[in-house]
Order: sequence, then C-alpha cells, then structure tokens
Amino acid sequence: MSQNGTIRLEVRNVVKNFGGLQALAGVSFTIEGPQLVGLIGPNGAGKTTLTNIITGLLKPTKGEVWFNGRRIDPLRPYHIARLGIGRTFQVTRAFRRMTVLENMLAPGLVKHPYMSRKELEKKALEIMKFLTIDHLRYEMGSNLSGGQQKLLELARLLMLEPDLIILDEPFAGVHPKLQRTIYGYIQRVRGEGKAIILISHDMESIFTLSERLIVLNFGEVIADGPPEVVKEDPQVIEAYLGRDDEEDLI
Amino acid sequence: MKFRRIYILWALTALFLVGLIFYPRLVNLQPYWVLVGMTALFYAILASSWSLLAGYTGQFSFAHMAFMGLGTYAAGILIRDMGFAPWQATIGGVLITGVVGLIIGYLCLRLRAVYLALFTIAFAEIFRLVVKAEVKFTGGPNGLELPTYTFPGWLQNLLRTIVPFWDANVYIPAYYTMAFLFVAALLFMFLLVRSRFGIFFRAVREDEEAAAALGVHVVNTRVLAFVVSSMIAGFAGIVFHHFIGLIVPDQMQIGRMSLIIAMAVIGGSQNLIGAALGAIFIHFSLEWLQQIPLPTAVLQHLLFLNDWGFSVDLHAGVLRTNAWRMVGFGLLLMLTLRFWQNGLISPIIDWLARREAVESVAQRFQAERDMDAVDDVQAIGSQAEAGNPQEPTS
Repeated sequence: MSQNGTIRLEVRNVVKNFGGLQALAGVSFTIEGPQLVGLIGPNGAGKTTLTNIITGLLKPTKGEVWFNGRRIDPLRPYHIARLGIGRTFQVTRAFRRMTVLENMLAPGLVKHPYMSRKELEKKALEIMKFLTIDHLRYEMGSNLSGGQQKLLELARLLMLEPDLIILDEPFAGVHPKLQRTIYGYIQRVRGEGKAIILISHDMESIFTLSERLIVLNFGEVIADGPPEVVKEDPQVIEAYLGRDDEEDLI
Repeated sequence: MKFRRIYILWALTALFLVGLIFYPRLVNLQPYWVLVGMTALFYAILASSWSLLAGYTGQFSFAHMAFMGLGTYAAGILIRDMGFAPWQATIGGVLITGVVGLIIGYLCLRLRAVYLALFTIAFAEIFRLVVKAEVKFTGGPNGLELPTYTFPGWLQNLLRTIVPFWDANVYIPAYYTMAFLFVAALLFMFLLVRSRFGIFFRAVREDEEAAAALGVHVVNTRVLAFVVSSMIAGFAGIVFHHFIGLIVPDQMQIGRMSLIIAMAVIGGSQNLIGAALGAIFIHFSLEWLQQIPLPTAVLQHLLFLNDWGFSVDLHAGVLRTNAWRMVGFGLLLMLTLRFWQNGLISPIIDWLARREAVESVAQRFQAERDMDAVDDVQAIGSQAEAGNPQEPTS
C-alpha cells in the first residue's frame, strides 16, 4: 500500500502498438482505495494487453502506469509483483511439475523469505482449505483438473499478499460449484481491503460483483462508472452489449 | 508405527554410503578399479551439477565440460605461473569459473531451448580450440600438468589412522578426496534445491512469466543456477585433474559432454541423486563391458563375434566389446528417452520419497457431507433452543 495506506493505480494515456496494429489508443483511469472494478469489452478490445502492461509483461508504446505513487511501467514483472500487484492468467498457468504445496510456497517465499517453512506451509494450508484444494496438496500441478488449477492460481495469489489483484477470466470454463467458491474468494479478498480488477465475459458475475465498470472498445475507454449507469450508456450498449439482447444479458 | 516408503530410501542411502566408504576394499585395492571408482564419482558430480542446471531450471547447456576445463586450466596456470599453492589455486580456479559462468549466464538469459544449446556448444568449442591452439599458457594439444595435492602431516597421520590402507596405492587418497567432494557437492546441491532457491529454480523452469508474476526474480534465479553449477563442475575438474596430473583439451570435447548429459538423462535429470547414480552406473557398466570375463567354454562358442568387431580373448578369458559397448549405451539412451523420460533411477527415488495421498476425493466429499449434516443438526438445535422448532428439510 502507499504511504498513506491507500491503494492507488493510475493508468495515464497508455498506448500500445503491435507493429501496425494499435491495441490500446490512450487508455486512462485511476483506481483508488479498495474497490472491485470490472473491466469488460468485446474480444480484441485490449483488456489482456492492458493487464500485461500493468503487470510489466509488456511495455507501453506511450503513456505511464503509476502504482502507490511510483511509476511502474519501466519495471520488470517480478518487481511489480513485489510492489503489490498480483494477477491470474486467462489460460491457467499452474507449475505442472511441482506439487500444489510447492506452487503455493513459491510466492510465499518471495513475500516472506525468512519465515519458517512450517509457518509458510500452515498459511498455505489455510488458504488451500478455503479454496477446497487442501486435500490435493501433495498432488502434482499436472494432475489437477482445469477448475482445480484455476483455484490453485487464485490460492497462489493470496500467498503473495498483493494490494491489487487482477483476475483474468476467473469464471471461464468453471463448474457452477467452483464458480461459487471463486465468488467467495473474491468477496473475501475484497473484504480484506484489497482492490480487484475483474475481467470476465460472464456478464451476470460482473454486474453482481463489480462496484465500478470500465468498458474498453477498440483500445479506448468508452465508459467508466457504476454498473447501473454503465449498462444504460448507449455507446456501451451499441459496442458491447448489443441493443436487442440487452435485457437478456444483464 | 506406520511403515513408510521413505525408510527404504534412508536404508538405501545408508547402504550406498557404506559401499562408498568400503569400495576400495571391495575391489581388493586394485589400482585400476580404484581409479574407475574415482572417475565414476567425478562424472557423478558433473552429471548431478548439470542436472541442477538443466533438470531444475530448464537450461540445457553444453558448456559444462568447458567450465570444468576452465577451472582446471585456471588452477594449473595459477600454480605454474603465479606460484600459488595447489589449495590456493583450487579456490582461485573455482572463483574464476564462477565469474566466467556469471558472464555466460547473463549472455544466455534470453536464449531458450535449441538456441541456448547452440550458444553453449559454440562457447565450449571456441574455448577448447583456443586452449588447443595456444601453447605458451595452456600447453596446447599436449595439455597442462598439475601437481598432486599434498596433505599436511597431521591430516596425513589422521587419515592413515582412519584408513589403514591409505598408502596401498596412489589412487586411494584420490578416491577418498573425490568421495568426500562427491558427498559435499551433493549435500550442498540438495540443500540448495530444498531451499527457497530450489522452489524458484523449478518455478522458472515451469513457466517464467507466471513465476515473475508471483515475484520470482527470473534473471537472478537463472544466473544463480548457471554460476553454481559451473563452479561445482570447475571444482570437480580441478580436484580430479590434480590427482591425474594432467588435463588435455580433448577432455572438453563435445562427445565427452554428451556422455555426461546421457548419464544424467538415463539416471533422471530432474533429480540430483538420480543423475549422480546414473553416472556411476553408466561408467561402471562401460568399464565392465570393455572386457567381460566369461568361461572358456562359452567364449569358444562366441569366436564368430571376432568378425563383428568384438575380440574374443581365450587366453585372458574375456570378451572385449570394443565400440559395441557404446552402441549398447546409445540404445539404452534412446530407450530411456522414448519410454522413461524421467530416467531409470529418479522415478524409483521419487516413488520412495513421495508423500502418500492425504485422502481420496471420495473421502473428501464424504467428509463435506458429514460436515453439512453436523451443521444441519446444530441449526435445528439452536432453533429449538430459541423456541422455534422446525422440521428439518430434506
């Protein structure tokens, strides 16, 4: 967190070009304090590119990203993670040839290099229990189902204790029961005073959980505000939700 | 007390250590077989340190033998031209290997898979050719002589007391020094991979981007593995060649490097001990296959093999396999890569060391149902206490 104890992410006029293609065309927004922000947009709108820029996997062509009073866009991903921004990936990336417990220990040892292994394992187990994967702790990552890998990715994030969490499509391809577990996770994280950016195509979840919505289209922010206001925005309806099936989606 | 597989592993480790200590006695102190044992341990250190790099961090380097040679040449030159004592030169040689390992490690950072392999092959070959072409410092193709270690008097006396056959032949001190280095190197690497760095090594091997997103410093992790494994290779090379008395550039040939890789792969490159045991097994097998002792009656039926490149020696009572032993070794490597990609030894170690499953999925769901039932009962109980009895709903 910043010196005054608040979380502040500032994306300032970020542009990203891939050769002749402009993926982001001057995106700006600020997230201040603990809040759950939904980031939506049609496929190719630039959501994942923006996530990769915030977490340092990509460098912006123009613009800046600031986190808690520090410019982070020139930093490497590991540095940004240590400053307090954690993320999951659209396609789960569990460490397949490591046990579930070892998967958990990797970020735990980054955050608490000198904590005893026993204490770290205890902490990991508590998180795994919450996400109902504690019984899999000695299983290899490769032996987990897709949904379990998703839960593992979420559990790993908590070991890093980030202030801002970016969840990229956490509900994609997930069984409804697991979806409820992920809901519980998001509510717990939000309750701990962290900020969350939730990227999802699951409109029901987005509108249920989000306190604020940012809508991207063709690399630009076309709407930013409370969900009930955004869903009435004609630009959003036209670009993303569609006029005819608006009622069905929301 | 519940029997656990790990006890078998501990028993096997103890048995191996006892075998390591009494090996010279087991081979009747024959200089040739003591030398074979010492060389096997040298290869075991190289194979296991290579597995630290390739198996644990996924950096497939062909420069390991070059680092071994670099350390040895550096130590030899420090002794000959700068008047260092052998033990001082050993430390100097290891440090020089570490510095060069650091530079090469950084240069290789962005290279993956085949590109990293090609880069390290190029480095290893350039180094070998330079050493071969240059004569003034390195001795060129004739190699560089190194003086043997001399132990201080008190240590010599102590070792003679512990090992009564210490002076039986020149290779006994060399064997025990190498055995000590082998145990120390394995222990060091074992502790390293059990530490947080070991977790980071494997996280980086599995997925660099995901590891970085969790705060793992990928650059430092990769370079650390490169430097440590290079230094261990350099250390082993220096100690081994001090006892042999000479290093030649051909020790660093790419064929020799391939042998180390094959040893690690057959043993199991993702397990330090598997790789080390693979090297010991392969080296002894190749030595034994050189001339297989057989009864004369059997050898007389095998005389036709002389036409196939074998040598049947009725007088000595042995079958010499010549180049065929390497064919067998190649076939074993191919079969391992095709059917047992984790190697032949490492899966056994993993199986013995693996923690047994905590509970089955069925047990888990049963436990959850039981917990739900308890919650229902408690809920009914509290409602009853509040004077609001209600039929439980199914």
